[in-house]
Amino acid sequence: MKKNLLFLPALMFAFASVANAHGPVRQKAEEEITINAPAAKVWGIIKDYGDMAWHPSIKNTTVDKGNEIGSIRVLTLQDGGAITEELKKYDADKMMYGYKITEMSTAKTITHAGAEEKVPVLPVDNYTANIGVEAKGDTSVVTWKGAYYRAYTNNNPPAEMNEDAANKAVSDVFKAGLANLKTLAEK
Amino acid sequence: MLQLKPITVVLAVMAALGAGTAMAIPLAYISNQLDDSVSIIDTEKRTVVDTVKITGKPAGVAVAPAGDKVYVSTPEAHGFSVLDTQSRMVLDKVTVSEGSLGIAVAPDGQRIYVADWYNNTVSVVSAKTLKVTKVITVGESPSGLMVSPDNRWLYVANRGSDSVSKVSTETLAIKKTTPVGKHPFGIVITQSGDRLYTANVESDDVTVLDTATMKPIATIKVGSLPYAVALALNDSRLLVTNQTDNTVSVIDTETLKPMAVIEVGEKPEGISTHPDDRHVYVANWFDSTVSVLDAKTLRVVDTLKTGEGTRAFGQFFSK
Repeated sequence: MKKNLLFLPALMFAFASVANAHGPVRQKAEEEITINAPAAKVWGIIKDYGDMAWHPSIKNTTVDKGNEIGSIRVLTLQDGGAITEELKKYDADKMMYGYKITEMSTAKTITHAGAEEKVPVLPVDNYTANIGVEAKGDTSVVTWKGAYYRAYTNNNPPAEMNEDAANKAVSDVFKAGLANLKTLAEK
Repeated sequence: MLQLKPITVVLAVMAALGAGTAMAIPLAYISNQLDDSVSIIDTEKRTVVDTVKITGKPAGVAVAPAGDKVYVSTPEAHGFSVLDTQSRMVLDKVTVSEGSLGIAVAPDGQRIYVADWYNNTVSVVSAKTLKVTKVITVGESPSGLMVSPDNRWLYVANRGSDSVSKVSTETLAIKKTTPVGKHPFGIVITQSGDRLYTANVESDDVTVLDTATMKPIATIKVGSLPYAVALALNDSRLLVTNQTDNTVSVIDTETLKPMAVIEVGEKPEGISTHPDDRHVYVANWFDSTVSVLDAKTLRVVDTLKTGEGTRAFGQFFSK
C-alpha cells in the first residue's frame, strides 16, 4: 500500500505536464461583423451556450448546466469530431459569454521528429474565447475573440500544428459562424 | 583587510549611482510579444515615449537594480536581449536555451536567472560576461522567478509540477520544493522576504507561502485563470490578474481575504508595482493596452495604448 501511495504523486505530475504545457507565444484571433438586426434579436440566437445550431460547422450540441458558470458543452462537428468546452463567463446584460476548450478529439495522427502526434480537430492548445453583441442603433456588431497557443507543445512544431495553422483554423471558425449568424438574424 | 578597500570603493560608487537614479522618473518596460517590441512608458507623463524593436517574441522582463539595463526574454530567439536604458538600443542578444521565458535579476545586479519552459531548468547568467555559468534542473515548465531581497534565495514556480522550489543562490542547489495550487505561473515576494504569493492558473487561486518553512499559510480563491501577482502599499495589498475575467483581484494580505475586484482590459497578464508603491500597471494582452491602477482607491486611473500582445511578465519598472 505504502509503495503505491508513494508512486501516485509522481504519476500525477507526469500526467499534468503532458496535458498542459504549451507553446511559448500566445496567439489571438478577432473577427467582427455588422448585422442589420437589433442586438436583442442577434443575442437571442446565440445566448444559449448549449445551442450552437447557428454555426454551420456544428451538427449537435449537448450541455449539462445551461448558462451556469462551469457548464460543460460538447460540440459535435459536421465531420464527426468533438470539442468539449467549459463556460467561464456569462453576462446577459452585456450580451456576452466566454468559454474554454477542455478536450478535443483527434483529427489525424502525424509523425513529427520521430514521434506520433495527434492533431486535434481545432489545432490549438489552451484556448479561451468570448463572443458578444453590441447594439449600434438598429443594427448590431458581433465580436468573437479567441486567445490560444499552437497545438504543438514542444519546440519546432510541424506545419499542421504551428502558429499559422492555429490562426487560420480559428479565424475560419469565427468567420463561418459570424457569416451564418448574420444570415439567420437578417432573415 | 587590504582586500576590503576596493569593495568599499565599489560600494561608494554604487551608492552614488543609486542616489542618481533614484531621482530619475521611473519607466515601465512593456514587452509586446506579437509585435516584437518593448514599449517604454514615462510614468510621470503616463505616455509611451519610445518603442524598441526586440525580435524573438519578447515576453519576460527584468530591470537591473541600477536601472541601466533591461533584460527581456525572447523565447523564439532562445534567450534574452539586453536593452540599454540610456540609448534605448539593444546592446546584446544572449542565447541561453530553447524555451527561455521567465527572467529575473539578482538584487545586486550580478546575475540574471532565466527559466526554460521546455528543458525544466533555470540558467544562471553572469550580468558582467553574459555567459551561462550554471544550469539548475528544477520542476516542469518553470515560469515565474523571484529572488529574495537579501539575495540569498531564488524562488521558482514550476508550472507543470504544481510546486515552488527554493534555491540557494550560494550553492545553486534546491533547498526545498513545496506543492502549491495547480499551475503556478507568476510569483511575488514581500520586501522582508518572509512571504511568497503564487498565481495558480488552473486552480483559480493564490497560494501564500511562508518562505522560511516553505509551508503554505493559505489558499485564496481569485478570478478565472490568474496569471501574475504584485504587492503594493507596503505589502498590505496583493493584486492578481485574472486572465479570463478581465479583472484584477485585490487581496488584503493581513486578513488574506479578497477586498475588491477591478475591471481592466481583456486578458490581463503581466502586473508590476510602480516604485511609488501605490500605482500598479497591468498589461492587457488582448487589448494591447496597459491599465494603471491605484491600489489605494482601487480604481483604474489611466489606460495606455501599447503594442500588440502586451505581456510584460516580470518586474518591469526602473526606479
